[in-house]
Amino acid sequence: MSSDVEPTLRERVRRLGRALALGAALAAVAVPVLVLSGESVGFASEKIFAVGALVFGFSILGWSGSVFAGRGIENFQRHLGGRSDWSEADSRQAMAVLGSVGLGGMVGTVLATWVVAGVT
Amino acid sequence: MISKRFVIKRLLLLVPVLFGVATFVFAILHLAPGDPARVIAGQRASEQFVQQVRAELGLNDPIWVQYGRFLVDAVQLDFGNSYQIQKGTPVKQILRYKLPVTLEMALFGQFLGILFGIPIGLLGAIKQDALSDHVTRIGALSGISVPIYWSGPLLILLFAQILNWFPASGRVASEFDINPITGIITLDTLVRGNFAAFQSAAMHLFLPSVVIGIYSMALISRMMRSSMLEVIRQDYMRTARAKGQGSKITVMKHGFQNALIPVVTVIGIQFGTLLGGAVLTETIFGIAGIGTLLVSAIQVGDYPVVQGTVLMFAFLFTLVNLLVDVTYSYLDPRIEQ
Repeated sequence: MSSDVEPTLRERVRRLGRALALGAALAAVAVPVLVLSGESVGFASEKIFAVGALVFGFSILGWSGSVFAGRGIENFQRHLGGRSDWSEADSRQAMAVLGSVGLGGMVGTVLATWVVAGVT
Repeated sequence: MISKRFVIKRLLLLVPVLFGVATFVFAILHLAPGDPARVIAGQRASEQFVQQVRAELGLNDPIWVQYGRFLVDAVQLDFGNSYQIQKGTPVKQILRYKLPVTLEMALFGQFLGILFGIPIGLLGAIKQDALSDHVTRIGALSGISVPIYWSGPLLILLFAQILNWFPASGRVASEFDINPITGIITLDTLVRGNFAAFQSAAMHLFLPSVVIGIYSMALISRMMRSSMLEVIRQDYMRTARAKGQGSKITVMKHGFQNALIPVVTVIGIQFGTLLGGAVLTETIFGIAGIGTLLVSAIQVGDYPVVQGTVLMFAFLFTLVNLLVDVTYSYLDPRIEQ
């Protein structure tokens, strides 16, 4: 994901929205699947929410780590001769997308749990 | 002069970092197998009692309610009480006693790393391709390659068992009874004027600090050498020498400060590795710090202690990186822009 051309705000929002919807859809499928496989609604809800939170937490860390130390890491690569295509801007964008998937998963779990608990 | 706006901006960045760590730790602990209520109640407790404990801890609430409650408590530095390690004691209180132990070791390790790493790197750059450069490069590469769990026992074997120069474990000789002020034992003994105890504490601290500082020293020296070599080749350095300024003065006056910038970054990033290394070092040297606390808490499933300790590690790491940023802007004021 090279950042030669900066994406517009609209493009960014659309990208994040798509990732959010993807996370929510995955959770909405995963919760009933776990329940149908014999687990309790509480167990399914807890595990899927935790997976979403894991992805969300990881991406926030990655995002803020990129902001905090991105420039340092770029320098570090340059000075130790291990130059790669990694850049702070690309890392931030990737982490924002990943975080949206995680957040979508968390929100999707809450909604799916309400629906599944209502049905069962 | 460092602007307040810059510092506030960097301080605000601490919020997402800590939020991310808190979320990450919460998720991992909820994905891990094991029931905290069962841990507290004991393996032989009745199901009814386990359910009672679950209700008391709020574990029957939906997970998003638990997540929200955890975040609100964590903001107030309330990580709850220990389940197992020190049953019923607030995690905050446990950390207050354990944290200075690890901090002392990590700071001394970092100090040794900087103290030796910078001059070695500088020497390597000034005398490039000389014998001293080759020796220090080999030394640095060895330092980066040697893991703590190997260098620790090896140093104990050599300096504690064979030569008997330094003690193998503990923080101070048992004959000294130290009343803690800060918890940093070398500082406390100095403040109280107990120099015999200070000497004992320093001797105990030396081997763990060396073990933890070797990697840091190796990395700093490599970075210093590479950065200095780059600066030496800059036009302004050539100009300074062409104007008749002595080579040593040029290097120290114009080159050193500019070459320090990437080195300072490494020192900041390295602090996280030092804290991670503290877990192994404390285990090897039998030091009861935050590292051994974390290992024990994971082993017995003491979730509040794990959460509190990891968040404390994250907080320290981000704080050190904030200091690095401030140092950056001091070394090169353009960075604030």
